[in-house]
Amino acid sequence: MVPLQSQVLLPERIAGLLGLSGTVGQIVGGLLGAFLIANLLLVQTAIAGPWAKRKITAAFTDRIAVNRIGPFGLLTIVTDAVRLLSKELIIPEDVDRPSYDLGPLLVPFSALLGFAVIPMGNGIHLADPETGLVFAFAASSIASLGIVMMGYGSNNKYSLLGGLRAIASNIAYEIPLVVTAASVVVFTGTLQMSEVVAQQAEPLLTVAGVTIPQWFAFVNPFAFVLFVIANLAEVGRNPFDVPEAPTEIVAGFQTEYSSVYFVLIYLGEFIHIFLGGALAATLFLGGPAGPILPGFIWFTIKIWAFYLFTQWARSAIPRLRVDQFLDVGWKGMLVLSFANLALTAIIVGVIA
Amino acid sequence: MSLEEPEPEDGAVEVLPTAGDEIAELLGDLVVDREEHVNAPGFVIRPDAVQETLTRLRDEAGFDHLSCVTAEEREDRYESIYHLTSFDDRQREVSVVVPAPKDDPVSESAEPVFRTADWHEREAYDLIGVEYDDHPDLRRILLPDTWQGHPLSENYDQDRPQIVTLSEWENPLAEDHREEEGDTMYVNIGPHHPATHGVLHVKTVLDGEQVADVDPDIGYLHRCEEQMCQTKTYRHQIMPYPDRWDYASSGLLNEWAYARAAEDLNDIDVPEYAQIIRTMGAEFCRIASHMLAVGTFALDVYGDFTAIFMYAMRDREKVQKVLEDLTGQRMMFNYFRLGGVVWDLPEPREEFFETIRDFLDDLPEALEEYHDLITSNEILQARTIDTGVLPPEVAKSYGATGPVARGSGIDYDLRRDDPYGYYDELEWDVITEDGCDNFSRLLVRLREVEESAKIIEQCVDLLEDWPEEERTIQSNVPRTLRPEDDTEIYRAVEAAKGELGIYIRADGTEKPGRFKIRSPCFSNLQTLPEMSAGEYIPDMVASLGSLDIVLGEVDR
Repeated sequence: MVPLQSQVLLPERIAGLLGLSGTVGQIVGGLLGAFLIANLLLVQTAIAGPWAKRKITAAFTDRIAVNRIGPFGLLTIVTDAVRLLSKELIIPEDVDRPSYDLGPLLVPFSALLGFAVIPMGNGIHLADPETGLVFAFAASSIASLGIVMMGYGSNNKYSLLGGLRAIASNIAYEIPLVVTAASVVVFTGTLQMSEVVAQQAEPLLTVAGVTIPQWFAFVNPFAFVLFVIANLAEVGRNPFDVPEAPTEIVAGFQTEYSSVYFVLIYLGEFIHIFLGGALAATLFLGGPAGPILPGFIWFTIKIWAFYLFTQWARSAIPRLRVDQFLDVGWKGMLVLSFANLALTAIIVGVIA
Repeated sequence: MSLEEPEPEDGAVEVLPTAGDEIAELLGDLVVDREEHVNAPGFVIRPDAVQETLTRLRDEAGFDHLSCVTAEEREDRYESIYHLTSFDDRQREVSVVVPAPKDDPVSESAEPVFRTADWHEREAYDLIGVEYDDHPDLRRILLPDTWQGHPLSENYDQDRPQIVTLSEWENPLAEDHREEEGDTMYVNIGPHHPATHGVLHVKTVLDGEQVADVDPDIGYLHRCEEQMCQTKTYRHQIMPYPDRWDYASSGLLNEWAYARAAEDLNDIDVPEYAQIIRTMGAEFCRIASHMLAVGTFALDVYGDFTAIFMYAMRDREKVQKVLEDLTGQRMMFNYFRLGGVVWDLPEPREEFFETIRDFLDDLPEALEEYHDLITSNEILQARTIDTGVLPPEVAKSYGATGPVARGSGIDYDLRRDDPYGYYDELEWDVITEDGCDNFSRLLVRLREVEESAKIIEQCVDLLEDWPEEERTIQSNVPRTLRPEDDTEIYRAVEAAKGELGIYIRADGTEKPGRFKIRSPCFSNLQTLPEMSAGEYIPDMVASLGSLDIVLGEVDR
């Protein structure tokens, strides 16, 4: 069996293929690797945004959705990209310029930054620092800053309300998210992503000749459920659609954005969904591991499964009211996640 | 008029005055003169005795429902007519006529007695020019504040352009702060907002996420429907207009409101066969309308991508197909005629009945799906139960009717209480829920769909067996209708949103002298501030959705 995680990281391999070494090799390899990974994600987002989202929602609501241009309407992606980018960029009066412009940039880039430490299988892994997990959470949290900048800088009350709601939700749900992830760290004893994945490849038990790996979703399903729910709130999808809440506060923090900025915000949202899926996959579903198919394919399947889940929730579950939403976060998720952490620590302590 | 007396309480024989003379005795000196309207006795009172008269009628005679306020300008006076009736017995009606002098048209406001008079009198002031003393907030309601003149008054110059300079034309969205310092934030919800179901502007003051004050600003869709009807002839020309009031698939219900008023005014009989077709068609419209209401309500609570909206549209589409087969139109039906309907059921009849039966067979399953998806969803219950509370007394004072009233436990449905069409011959129930909240109103609509299906099924049974030679679709109605001068009538039907009433005063010509529409949405929308004070923004939006307003009918 081919080891799922090659010890060689992507920049080194690129440098090796180009015959470069030393600092030059590191810089060129790093840049090319980052370029490759960013593009992999942008392509997936392009499919997810203008096409898959419509198709999935249509399937839930008994409709057909895009099917006019290209096979299965796939070329809609191209036309939509052109359409969105060619729209007029309307900048309202009295917006707070630097923050109004920087906000939409921060959202997608923070999510892309998080992917730097995610092992995607087949050696597609940009960096593997010892603090990998913390880095991923830290990077994705920068998005909150972007949202606040948009909400504040737009000079619009709906944006302001949306921005405030976004901060409230990020504070309320990021703590349970990180604490739940910490319960995995209790098992692994390390924050390094490659190590987290490698430990999950160990066999858990063997049933009728089929070896079930030690994925933490199997070891601690409770933590997995908590993580997925907190993740749903992090990416702002129903029932935690509160910061955007169309039909209540129009579009929340993105009310005043059009054209390129609008695209950037949407891009960011989708990459965030994928990052949420990638974290769930890495921490709980064995990263890129899986039978027969190559690791990268499995990784893609896992993050798309999470994407499908968010869209499903969006079609089927009502949005919570903002106070109920915070109640669930502070009174429910926080307590449960700490209980989970304490229990995991005790169990691991007793066994080890 | 039937005089069904209410049950005496505690053995005490309490007979509420209903006949004209009894009411005249109750009012005593207050009555200056008496009139006879087709639907009710009319009492002319002094302009400064409005509150006393209405209070006495409400408290001592049980007239607790101010259905409508009609104002009009006559040759020698202005007149405000208060159409009173009772929630317990709709057939007890009385009109209070308040004349006001031409040179100084002021009369006392009824707002302290009936809260619903607030908006109705504002409309009278806006369009006719009658001023109301003691009114808390006498502003224009349908037209912009800067409008010159009162369009339905006699000396109004239609051709004079309404030019208002930009500085005078206050941009409704410009207002930004209520006061210099304070913790509240003023937000304009609408006129273009995803949750206002049309062009409604809700001036909202927020205290954090909570609603401190709400002031619905209407009139963006005002199309002078009343005046247009006044310039058309009774016989054929008015009928297309009702379709455009509540345009969200309640066309036939609206047409019936006009048909009922005009038929009673002109003493026109409707053949039984036509009544059954009318009843069936109207109930289809009610189903379509409630489906849309449930779908858009889900949209407000769930968010923009909910599956329920499309499910509701899918089922509504089946109803629209049936209505299309019946009337040839999808929304603007123009199917009723005075004295009947325009044509018989489509041929082949068996196929038409088959379509309807298929729809009725599938409906319980579809409704089960709605209950699975919506009403039994825990999050939705958390969102809607005990939010947007409208106590029955408040609802009555505001003249709320239809599912909004029935969701507050008020057992009031004109189809049963003031029977018309074929309803009193059929087996069905009036649905009420006691929750008074958003959830109750949702539940009432879903359950009413079942009742409408029951009615349709019975109508189809009757129509299928109707002998071919007796299929009279229209009675013999004169080519030109000229009701006698000064005949006045106020008649209402149970439309999808509530009591849709029409007041017509004939002036001896073939066109109405005054045509007034009592829109259920207009009265229901007035309860929004009561329902949403102190609630969160999402609940205010949900309450607005649960009122199920159609702005075409609010603004007319």
